Amino acid sequence: MKRNVVFITLTLVLAILLLSACSSASEEGNQDSEQKKDELILAIGGEPEDGFDPTTGWGRYGSPLFQSTLLKYDKNFNIKNDLATDYDISKDGKTWTVNLRDDVKFSDGEALTADDVVFTFETAKSSGSVIDLSNLEKVESVNDHSVQFTLVEPASTFIYLLVSTGIVPEHAYNDTYNENPIGSGPFTLVQWDKGQQIIVEENPYYYGERPFFKKLTFLFLAEDAAFAAAKAGEVDVVSVPPTFAKEAVAGMELVKLDTVDNRGVMFPYVPAGEVTDTGAPIGNDVTADIAIRKAINIGVDRQAFVDGVIEGFGTPAYSVADNMPWWNLDTVIEDNDVEQAKQILDEAGWIENENGIREKDGLTAAFTLLYPAGDQIRQSLSILFADMMKPLGIDVSTEGKSWNELENLMYSNPVMMGWGSHDPIEMFNLYSSGTRGVGYYNANYYANDVVDEYMSQALHAKTEEEANSYWQKAQWDGETGFSEQGDAPWAWLVNIQHLYFVNEDLEIGEQKIQPHGHGWPVTDFIEQWHWKE
Amino acid sequence: MKGIMKRGNLRQLTIAQIVAAILFLLLIIISGFLIGNDKLAIHLDMKNTAPSIAHPFGTDWLGRDMLVRTLKGLTISLGVGLLAAILSSLIALAFSLIASWNKRMDAFITWLIDLFLSVPHLVLLILISFAVGGGFKGVVIGLSLTHWPSLTRLLRGEMLQIKSAEYVGISRQLGKSRWWIARHHLIAHLLPQLFVGMVLLFPHAILHEAAITFLGFGLSTEQPAIGIVLSESMRYLSTGMWWLAFFPGLSLLIMVGIFDILGKNMRKLIDPFHGQKG
Repeated sequence: MKRNVVFITLTLVLAILLLSACSSASEEGNQDSEQKKDELILAIGGEPEDGFDPTTGWGRYGSPLFQSTLLKYDKNFNIKNDLATDYDISKDGKTWTVNLRDDVKFSDGEALTADDVVFTFETAKSSGSVIDLSNLEKVESVNDHSVQFTLVEPASTFIYLLVSTGIVPEHAYNDTYNENPIGSGPFTLVQWDKGQQIIVEENPYYYGERPFFKKLTFLFLAEDAAFAAAKAGEVDVVSVPPTFAKEAVAGMELVKLDTVDNRGVMFPYVPAGEVTDTGAPIGNDVTADIAIRKAINIGVDRQAFVDGVIEGFGTPAYSVADNMPWWNLDTVIEDNDVEQAKQILDEAGWIENENGIREKDGLTAAFTLLYPAGDQIRQSLSILFADMMKPLGIDVSTEGKSWNELENLMYSNPVMMGWGSHDPIEMFNLYSSGTRGVGYYNANYYANDVVDEYMSQALHAKTEEEANSYWQKAQWDGETGFSEQGDAPWAWLVNIQHLYFVNEDLEIGEQKIQPHGHGWPVTDFIEQWHWKE
Repeated sequence: MKGIMKRGNLRQLTIAQIVAAILFLLLIIISGFLIGNDKLAIHLDMKNTAPSIAHPFGTDWLGRDMLVRTLKGLTISLGVGLLAAILSSLIALAFSLIASWNKRMDAFITWLIDLFLSVPHLVLLILISFAVGGGFKGVVIGLSLTHWPSLTRLLRGEMLQIKSAEYVGISRQLGKSRWWIARHHLIAHLLPQLFVGMVLLFPHAILHEAAITFLGFGLSTEQPAIGIVLSESMRYLSTGMWWLAFFPGLSLLIMVGIFDILGKNMRKLIDPFHGQKG
């Protein structure tokens, strides 16, 4: 009996050894033959639930890949022509005329004309999606290669809609377009296996620079599986969370991309009392006190969040739009100053009780910081934030909630949120008194007349430079503003770098600052990727 | 082994095992209660350290001591298991008494048992705890509503046997009410079975609690329950931090094993049929 057992065990061990030897040998063979091909396999996650229809939001972050846009950003956020040859804004700022290239064809061979542009914007306007075109009064074609947009009110931010909206073909647009996108972008969709992968090939009619890679496969893998695939050498580009980034992967190098993908604590700005139309309570008595918000902003150690939670792969965040052209540099403050924070609280009348928690007029300086359950980075940020508040005498407890629960609780509790966009309209949405309580926008119920005035001027500005100067003043004009120098309705903490393991022979070039959303934005300049010589 | 066995008779050995198991479980509970929340504090300078003498279970990605987290988690899981097992046993007792009422009730209860046993435990558990709103309440309700059938079946069989006993017939002849009979004859005889059944429900309840919490349908992430600790550690397995999952998982297994030993030994002590087999 015993001998039998020994024999069986030995056989099994030998079999396993043999099998594993075989498989590793074959993998190495694969890797060699895959080199220098004109195909890439990427695992950057982010399968879009709504498919690839730009009129419902596809491509808003990064490039639409299958479609092309009228204008585009270069790597330094200068606006360049893409489908457009030039554009012109009337004196009153309400009429925008865009002239189009005449050599553009969709991937099915049909020509792209002004009618397609008109169709795209009209469809997007009526789609009721995340794309806000309420300011667009009408869009008409002047001739085959010229389009005229008429706005309700002049808005400098309209240009970012031209940058982010991919043009769809009128002749091939139907209910299943989101699954069979046809566009004028560098690539065209060949196959979409939902939940698994998409395969794209070069668009033979693309008017721009021809992509080096003729075929791309995007795998939709869970973080663990993607990392395992990278280790096995099966993918060329893979997005990884910070926890994996310190591992060494043979044949791949770590690419760290700076972002405005920020995380921060949103403080309810008004005292408790009111409720929304849906019955959600508004306001929080503790965070309504500006001394609390200011002390937190000065007392936190942003660098500790960067080093402790995201393993150093990020930068301290001071505003919602760090390093964007409309960012005000004055929002950078000296933080980690516990003494000054305590002084602010003392002066405002928050006195420590015997438990080391501050009180003012019978109100205890305590609140619950909420975060979306399941988001490990936000959870860790929240726990560390609560820990940092102890020496200040502010008692913070943390609690994970589902997004559904958060939508009911976020008007009355601080929440660990994240934003970060290539469009300054985001600042308007977050800080304007007109967007108070509109979904996730301005859930603080923040309002400041001076800020509103600056932002209105920014929207009505004729040029981007002029607009940017007003955006900056809205943040801090020396006296007031929505940054932590001013009313401090937020405590921005970190910008999270987007991390990718990239095949060390692959050159993806310089990338621009990445927006919220890890994954698709990295494909922005994918037509320029190539093997290193 | 035989030498040890000879030192005490079976009864003494059984009692010794029971005492040892109870002591061990008490140790877990007491240590879980004694450890304050301040021990769970963050130490960013000590994050992701492998097991050492200072931190026998290692530390996690925020530098929290895994031994403390495990003990806390076990205490919470134990509490949930205890509550759910007691509630489940009460349901089982109530149903078996209802089944003693008449034939139709008996058929109904038997049907209910078959119904609940025909659906996989975990599926039903997820369904119920999700329907009542999740969290601590959801888990406890879900667990108690799914773990009663097998115990009910056992108690019902026992009940039928007692019901046909002569002295019960005499009580009825003497005009005693059903409730009087249930109280004085049925419950008195069912109690030992119920108690053992409850202890044996523990491991099931705790494992299922950990399972649905692991899957994200159970306790909220704020409670450092063992299921939460395990599911969080899964994210770090690929980076080679094995201790995050290994020690908490092993501890859970040991605790469940001890409960099983406890229950089996108690049955030996109380139930003469099993006692003879021993």
